Amino acid sequence: MQLGDSRTGKLADNITAFGRALRRAGVPVDSARIALAGQAAQLVDLSRKDDLGAALEAVLVSREQDRGVFRELFDAFFRDPAVANKLLAQMLPSAEGKAEPSKRRPRVSEALAPQKGFGAQPPRAAEDEVRFDAAMTASDLQRLRHADFGALGGGEYRLVERLAREVALPVPRIAMRRTRPGARGARLHWPGVMRHAAHTGGELLQLRRLQRRKQPLPLLLLVDVSGSMERYARLLLAFLHAATRGGVGRRGRRDVFAFGTRLTDLTPAFRLADTDEMLAAAGAAIDDYAGGTRLGESLAQLRERHARRLVGRRTLVLVISDGLDTGEPAALERELAWLRLHSRRLLWLNPLLRYDRYTPSAQGAAVLHRQAHGMLAVHNIARLEQLAASIAAVMDT
Amino acid sequence: MSATPFSSIDALTQALERAGYFADRRLATAVFLALKLQRPLLLEGEPGVGKTELAKALAGALGRELLRLQCYDGLEHREALYEWNYAAQLLHMRAVELRAPTLGTGVSSLPPEGALAGLGRPGAGGQETAEQAEREVYQDRYLIRRPLLQALQAPAPGAVLLIDELDRADEPFEAFLLEYLGEYQVSIPELGTVRAVATPVTILTSNRTRELHDAVKRRCLYHWLDYPDRERELAIVQARVPGASQALSRQVAEFVGRLRSQPFANAFQRAPGIAESVEWAKALVALDTLVLDPEVVSDTAGILFKQREDVAALTQDLAADLLKPEEA
Repeated sequence: MQLGDSRTGKLADNITAFGRALRRAGVPVDSARIALAGQAAQLVDLSRKDDLGAALEAVLVSREQDRGVFRELFDAFFRDPAVANKLLAQMLPSAEGKAEPSKRRPRVSEALAPQKGFGAQPPRAAEDEVRFDAAMTASDLQRLRHADFGALGGGEYRLVERLAREVALPVPRIAMRRTRPGARGARLHWPGVMRHAAHTGGELLQLRRLQRRKQPLPLLLLVDVSGSMERYARLLLAFLHAATRGGVGRRGRRDVFAFGTRLTDLTPAFRLADTDEMLAAAGAAIDDYAGGTRLGESLAQLRERHARRLVGRRTLVLVISDGLDTGEPAALERELAWLRLHSRRLLWLNPLLRYDRYTPSAQGAAVLHRQAHGMLAVHNIARLEQLAASIAAVMDT
Repeated sequence: MSATPFSSIDALTQALERAGYFADRRLATAVFLALKLQRPLLLEGEPGVGKTELAKALAGALGRELLRLQCYDGLEHREALYEWNYAAQLLHMRAVELRAPTLGTGVSSLPPEGALAGLGRPGAGGQETAEQAEREVYQDRYLIRRPLLQALQAPAPGAVLLIDELDRADEPFEAFLLEYLGEYQVSIPELGTVRAVATPVTILTSNRTRELHDAVKRRCLYHWLDYPDRERELAIVQARVPGASQALSRQVAEFVGRLRSQPFANAFQRAPGIAESVEWAKALVALDTLVLDPEVVSDTAGILFKQREDVAALTQDLAADLLKPEEA
């Protein structure tokens, strides 16, 4: 079917407008795509709306989750663009035109309006006990390094949180299947061998080899944000965010979930570079902060919806919890066994290890103790500093 | 615009049907556009919905060769694109040396020009001869072509290239594919840039074990493949298992369709795919089943499900429920 110029022009306009509407609705569409959509539209029978829809969808959508938005918008738009625009305006009140508070500064808003549960300032009473200023003496610092996170005053808490961000946690590295030329290795690097041989008339005097590349293990962090953990959760999140940024962020994977009564995916928040912004985003995402713990159910959610976050049994799983679980122990046992089976190491970071004669007697703790490959302490800065070494030790066993 | 033999979406649908693939109209539209616009087509969907089959059927329908690259963790370009035949190269170099023992040593008592016909012109100094020897061994005939390069060099009308389960490969491999998918060309250091003789019809599949990079997606058309509706599934079962009676095929299609549908979707970890329904129908024929009953269903559940929990979950009671005629 050959279209007249005027109609083609109208169609192109319509598609451009539609592409922009899609973009406003949150579907990533660039102008090259819109141009391609114009081409595609001319290849199908325009008298069939479903064909046009399918054609535009194949070009403009590239994620499964965008298909629903696309179809609704397509139906509305190609019936009446004006209706679609109104619809969009209702759906996205601040989509366009408002230049005002688009960029809110997390630190400012955090300071002005502390998040309901998550900001959880330490009790006021403790505030006047000790006052620290920024220039600490060496002995103050030494004391703070060994101070229990659970027994910090307000000022100390802020300082310790700052300190925690400076502790490094090098994630163990393992050999990948990918290789690169090197001096040692099981396989020969033939291109290199040949290049040398060419200079010696085909004599193999020097053998180049292929070495396996190393990569940090993929990390899966599960952080308990229930009531009993609230003093630790924020600190540990700040620590984990800063500590794993360099090692894992670029080359490897790092997936983070918070769990209380249910599972919250914090991975998007952890992609923010700034730790304060991360904490603000995490605070907004977690709506069951300081509630109960149902670890078993949270892990079941993890298995059902996010099993692909575990990478080929290479993932190092860190469960950060005190093990005071209110859920069903049998379910927890089953889910932990599954998790253990699908990861390289399942480590339990337990702040309650601060007590000398701690025994995992709570039901949840007993299960965790049985299923985890190792149990490590995380109740003060000194312990966090030792964490990398402890993890390495457990990895070797 | 391109060498596609199909003038319309209907023509393509029919050609696919003749090749044994029953595509719904949305999918056919996406394939049609991929052919016309000469873009790669990215297919995502649950395992067993027929992503790989589509590429096979398309190759059949187009009468083109199917080249398949199965991706896996750690896949490198030498397995995907090309490799040199090092043994043959070594032999070549030894042969050159045997005929001109001084070639590698740099002593200039060389045979007269032309004596080494076909082996290049020997130079004066040792350095030069070494470089020559290196040039000689990187000839086309020592090149081992892997699927991606084969697809570029396939003579017109070109091949169908299936890059299967791209989500299994790692991110560096995805990045390596970008030039290929965007320009249909690759650079080989020793030979220069190789451009496609005829643009290969490229199908990529992903099971979404991880999200593919946007840059890859931007170069492709996209289609999410769902489980087929009952009529399509029935057509597939009938075409693949001609021995099954009309009634049995219909029962199979309906049963599997209901298994995947809302109320039961959460009861099982993984819904059976099309391949499973076909296998099931074949098994039922082999067991001389004429009509499904709960006992047969639970006895053969191992064909529908590949996980122990799921097999156990399909009890006779549940099967009886599922077999009840639908109230319409």
